[in-house]
Amino acid sequence: MGNSKHLGLFLLAPAGIFVILFFLAPVVLTGVFGFTNMSTATGITGGSYMVSESAMRPLRSRFGEDALADQLSKRIYTIDEEGLQAAAEAGGDAAALTELRSNFFNESFGNRREVETAIKSLNARPSTTRGIKIISAQFVKSVINVRFDTFEELLTSIADFGIELSDDQIEALADVTYTGWTFTLQNFKTMVELPDTRKTLINTLFYVFTTLILFNTGFALVLSISTHYMPTGPAGFFRSIWLLPRVTPPVLYVLMWKWLAWDTGFLSVILEPMGFAPRNWMLDSPTNAWVFIILINGIVGASMGMLIFSSAIKAIPASLFHASEVDGATRRQQIWHIILPQLRWPILFITIYQTLSLLTSFEYILLATDGGPGGATEVWALSTYLKALQNYGGALQYGYGAALSLVLVVIGISVSLIYLKLFDFKNLTAPPKIE
Amino acid sequence: MSGNYRTWPTLVFLSVLTAPLILMYSYLFVDTITNTPPGSVIPNEFTLEHWRFLTETIPGRPSIWLATWNTFVFATVTMVIVLMVSSSAGYALSRLQLPARSFFLGGIMVLHAFPTVTLLIAIFLILQMLGLYNSLAGVILVKTALELPFGIWIMKGFYDTVPWEIEMAGIQDGATRFQVWTKLVLPQVKPAILALGIFSFLSGWSEFILPLVLAPDNNVQVLSVYLAALIADDQNFDMALFKSVGVFYVIPVIVLFVFFQNRLMNIYSGGTKG
Amino acid sequence: MKHQLLRSTAIAVALAVGAAGAAFADSGKEYNLSVAAIAGPTDIYRIAAIEIAADLLEREYAVRGEIVHINIEGRPFTQWDEFRQAVTLAAEAGNAPNIVVASHVDIAPWAQSGLIVPAEDYVDLDAWPLNDIYPNLLEITSFQDQVWAIPQDAESRPFFFWKPHMKAIGYSDADLDGLAERIRSGDYTLENMLVDARKMIDAGLVEENRGFWPRPSKGPDYWMFYMAFGGEMEDGNGRLLLDKTSMAEFYQFFVDAVELGVIGKNHIGTPWDQWHGALTSGQVGMWQGGTWQFAEWTGKYGMDFFANATFSLVPGGGDNGRANTLTQPLVYLITDQDDEEIMGIAGELITIASEPRINALHAVNSAHLGISKAEETVGLYAGDRWIREATPVLLPFASAQPNNIFFGQYFEVMFSGLQAAWTGQKTVEEAIADVETELKAALGDNIVIK
Repeated sequence: MGNSKHLGLFLLAPAGIFVILFFLAPVVLTGVFGFTNMSTATGITGGSYMVSESAMRPLRSRFGEDALADQLSKRIYTIDEEGLQAAAEAGGDAAALTELRSNFFNESFGNRREVETAIKSLNARPSTTRGIKIISAQFVKSVINVRFDTFEELLTSIADFGIELSDDQIEALADVTYTGWTFTLQNFKTMVELPDTRKTLINTLFYVFTTLILFNTGFALVLSISTHYMPTGPAGFFRSIWLLPRVTPPVLYVLMWKWLAWDTGFLSVILEPMGFAPRNWMLDSPTNAWVFIILINGIVGASMGMLIFSSAIKAIPASLFHASEVDGATRRQQIWHIILPQLRWPILFITIYQTLSLLTSFEYILLATDGGPGGATEVWALSTYLKALQNYGGALQYGYGAALSLVLVVIGISVSLIYLKLFDFKNLTAPPKIE
Repeated sequence: MSGNYRTWPTLVFLSVLTAPLILMYSYLFVDTITNTPPGSVIPNEFTLEHWRFLTETIPGRPSIWLATWNTFVFATVTMVIVLMVSSSAGYALSRLQLPARSFFLGGIMVLHAFPTVTLLIAIFLILQMLGLYNSLAGVILVKTALELPFGIWIMKGFYDTVPWEIEMAGIQDGATRFQVWTKLVLPQVKPAILALGIFSFLSGWSEFILPLVLAPDNNVQVLSVYLAALIADDQNFDMALFKSVGVFYVIPVIVLFVFFQNRLMNIYSGGTKG
Repeated sequence: MKHQLLRSTAIAVALAVGAAGAAFADSGKEYNLSVAAIAGPTDIYRIAAIEIAADLLEREYAVRGEIVHINIEGRPFTQWDEFRQAVTLAAEAGNAPNIVVASHVDIAPWAQSGLIVPAEDYVDLDAWPLNDIYPNLLEITSFQDQVWAIPQDAESRPFFFWKPHMKAIGYSDADLDGLAERIRSGDYTLENMLVDARKMIDAGLVEENRGFWPRPSKGPDYWMFYMAFGGEMEDGNGRLLLDKTSMAEFYQFFVDAVELGVIGKNHIGTPWDQWHGALTSGQVGMWQGGTWQFAEWTGKYGMDFFANATFSLVPGGGDNGRANTLTQPLVYLITDQDDEEIMGIAGELITIASEPRINALHAVNSAHLGISKAEETVGLYAGDRWIREATPVLLPFASAQPNNIFFGQYFEVMFSGLQAAWTGQKTVEEAIADVETELKAALGDNIVIK
């Protein structure tokens, strides 16, 4: 008894590790990210503190600290004892530093380039740009555009600069100078406010259920029942052909459809003599795009149902069919009274499984229409991918993308739980017979 | 079987539906060895120029052979891990006494609902923590995880069909449950292992989004990413080359498919009861 | 393992080449740097220039009496989305390429996140060759008063006319020669262009929907049409700006063009080879492309450019319109690393790679515009007719996208609005209303809407 339990856990452990690492942990992380404003600009792993112009804008507008913002925005480079020492420690050329002290001690400059011009005027100027940079970096007295790893370092530096801060100002500064991500509910507010969210949702429902009903179950039934009434040879041939799209790499499979649909493609060439102007048939209208998207996904999806239904039909005792034929049953009656009842569970299984697959799939749509024309075929999963990982201007919005995928996770789990309730769950959990 | 029905109507019916698919696949091949004048669908000359990529490496791209090797490693290792993990977990779920067994079983179905591809950012972070970002090993692990719910489900279904008597006999002969599993039960589910193995291999061979995002470097590039980049933008757009590389890419799939299609057909035969 | 073998061979070759100058290879410091860039067959010099620079720099060190070995690992990409995704994620993984060749619009978000460091901290802008770079290019690489990057190339996105068709609808050679100037002065507008395009279709010179073809995919080119109707992308104080009137006129222009039958409603998504093929063979009356595409057109597609085409700024439109063009310089960026020395070497490498002679290799090979005044006098560059003629007509009037953290989001919203209106999914009014809502929700007070 104990032996079996331990063995069971041992055998399950590898699967458990995969599930924890690549299913549970990502979901938890995504759950957290969904409530942040994480983006390319904030970084994923944390931020630092920086007084920048974009940080000074809210300091003026939100906190009314115009004077402080002006003070912080000042830039000064001063050749002083402290800087000279730091430069020597950083490996600055000794002769150059001595000369710098004698020529420019206590002089101030408005920016780093002026300091470097001064360094370059020395007789003992360092021979490389790097040599100059090492020295010039040490004299900065401003805090603007300098990156600090902790807020304390920033405060120390501001104090060095001779600015005293009140507690309110410190709080305001901590708020505006942080460059990393912060927690927010904005993503979900944005989601509700955006007009396209509802459209994407409707698209998703339309896509999932149309494909599911027409192809993943409907056409799969047609295929398995019609091949059932065929000699073995042709039946095998047709099943193979319809299984092929499933194993064809998506990149290539979608290309074949494009070849069919492009305005110099097969359809255009064939239809032109019949008076249809050549056009991009796939992107010509939202209806066309949907027809293609559903065909592309449906043909891949139909094969799974076809295989499952076929083997279920095969499991029906042949005597049943023979007996009904002797009784003079028509083919329609056979399908209705013998085959379909036998397929009840397989159909339910396919329905659940494919609902979930379709809900989270976007690869074929991405490759075929990329959501076009004009966003007409953008579904939830695609929208998530585009927001989080594809932005032409490089501004990836991880936080918003995570919020979107969180919605998908919640919908997915609820749907699967509902289906599991409907499903004959006892069937799954028949207890082991050796114990 | 159904001797007193005519078969030709169904044959004609399915042939009509299947024709476009056959047409698309045939043209894919024909186009790579011919040139076709614009505005026509009938090729007018035979050529091998579209296949020059086999010997020339395009500047800025990895060699096709490196990408092929990467794809092969990716698909094979994925297949092996999927088989090992699903056959053991499937057995545990099908036959062994486990705490919260029904929870695990329901969990498989729920896992399938997790949109792994849309959790990519979080998965990226985890790979980074493991030090596996931008490596084949990392993408293999993620791909394996993605295939597991399907794999476990299939294996569990097949184990369910193995008669209990085989195991009972084994136990009576003094074998442990582990020995019973490896020596007696596994041989019974060989067809399932073969079918699931081919499915996982083909699925790994075809994977696009995961390597694209999680292993972008040229030295770990796989064929799907290599292929997609050929029609990526205005300067690297070469349709004929794309098709030829595409055919090169799909040949192993077709070969495997032709040899093993009957095995593949049987993949769900254990899983129909749910 | 095959790939290790390849890799070590590559490293061995690189080492051998690098060592040639230093004469002996066993002593000295070794630096390994990686360069990520969009680099296909024509633009491979984005990476190769750094390799050449590494060789020169090793020699400079050797002359100074120091032996160093600099190994460059190229990381070429072909697609922008994928490239940005990869660089950003690699940086998060602590594995950022040392030098990145990206668009200048990447500066703002990457500077904010700490991915890159200001280039001016690692290069000498007052010394050759950087002191010769066009000042407006350096302005484009500046963000918050610092120079974050060194320009790598420049280009512009002009408007093209197929000369034989223009003549067939009544333009003389002299008219065509003066067209660019008429466009610049605002005498010839987008509205005139639509009329001419329709004439070409009515005369049977080009087919329906082929009067005017802009870029067939998402790209910054479309901002030119926003600016053509008087729109500005930033308000002058570093805040993004949405000018609803200009945006609406810009959307309306494409809707009108579709209604006139001058352009297809599903133009976006046309495969590039069809696009190039059609416009290089006289099947399109007018089009808008990029200066760098000249290489593609005259090379792969065998177009006799100067006999068949003339080019200009993008015409203005509406009441406040102005002719304009856009340049999106690519830039060398130095990423933040723990090792200051490596960043210093990166700075020295991009300085050398900006030598006019080295940069001219990229400019001419990829039909891009140069980055410095001296480059105009390099034989290779000066001998190229296209670059010589295009530069003065276009570059002085070129504007650039703003370096703003939120610009990427603005871009996506602008483009999805355009597509919705263009394909007839929404009316122009609906599209603009949705754009406004989305920008308000996503950017809040980081955008000014007027």
